[in-house]
Amino acid sequence: MPIKILSVDDSRTIRLIVGRSLRPYDCILCEAANGEEGLVAAAREKPDIILLDVTMPVMDGVTMLTKLKEDPALKSIPVIMLTAESGRDNVIHIARLGVRDYLVKPFKEEQLIDKVGRIVQLKRKEVSAPTAAPVPAV
Amino acid sequence: MQGGVNYQELSRRYGFAPKPESASRLTQLVSRQDSDLDEIAKVINKDPVLLKRLLRVANPDAENEIEYAVETVEDALMRNGMGCVLVLAMGTPLALALTKTFQTMLSLKLEMIDPSEAECLQGDHLLGTIHFSGKVEGEVYLRMNIASARAIAAGILGMSPEELTDTNEIKDAAGELLNIMTGNFKSNLCDAGLDCRLQPPEVKLSNNFHTPSVAGGGVERMALRTGKIHLFVDVTANPWND
Repeated sequence: MPIKILSVDDSRTIRLIVGRSLRPYDCILCEAANGEEGLVAAAREKPDIILLDVTMPVMDGVTMLTKLKEDPALKSIPVIMLTAESGRDNVIHIARLGVRDYLVKPFKEEQLIDKVGRIVQLKRKEVSAPTAAPVPAV
Repeated sequence: MQGGVNYQELSRRYGFAPKPESASRLTQLVSRQDSDLDEIAKVINKDPVLLKRLLRVANPDAENEIEYAVETVEDALMRNGMGCVLVLAMGTPLALALTKTFQTMLSLKLEMIDPSEAECLQGDHLLGTIHFSGKVEGEVYLRMNIASARAIAAGILGMSPEELTDTNEIKDAAGELLNIMTGNFKSNLCDAGLDCRLQPPEVKLSNNFHTPSVAGGGVERMALRTGKIHLFVDVTANPWND
């Protein structure tokens, strides 16, 4: 079974980088552009892991994380924060809400794979297969 | 995760890079409304780059150092107040974040240059703006010509500039660059007690290359380059916006 990863970021650039980083691995990438879409996608797709930005329009990452952790069906999904914000109070607040890891932008693709690989077992694709098309959030 | 978590422990666990000491120190000093000017002057006098930037900010109309009317840190602080020091303190993490982003995502070494040595942007260029508000309020502007924006976006996305034809992708990459810069600098401000919020970036074409001005606040223009890519970062700030 391929690993299902949900990337929640308002930047298409970051979602493309995440997709490119994961391309060699047997996984399905789902995408959402804000926290509200992210919650819908998390409930529908039940991802194995969520990569979550902080500053986003409509609903930010901290609000999405809070709601995720309040939902018994979703709260056990591991979350890695993927953000440029690493201020002390913000990091402590987010850690207390319950995240598995935190990756500060800018990041190298290897760092992302390393952090994701510590939480879920990433397997390299055996043959060069076409990239899985991103699953739209809505 | 339960209480009792401290930032140092989390920084180790998450593998955060250490934050630059001088920028943090200066921001902490400026964040106190009763800061001792001598102490601030001492920090700036020890750092030739900061000193150069302060004098440039304090002499906005001078075209070169010979024309400077304000020549010492003490004079600059007395005449311009904390606003000009705050933009310096804010500019450092912005420039560092931009440099690190180029190094990490594009394998390019970005260097800071004197804005007067940089080629002015002529005609339409890409302008990204982020507004921040809270205890300190202001804006960060990121400018670059279209060719630079295309080269940066293509590099980040792993394409050749010729392959990148979608203007929205170029704008989105510029917006993300701005997001990364300001996210890092917001962290620095918040850690110094100057809590603020960021608005999502706005990226558009502009033909206005003038440095913005802020009544009662500070403004700094920084220029950075690597090869043919030139970037301009303007920071405006009004401190203690309680």
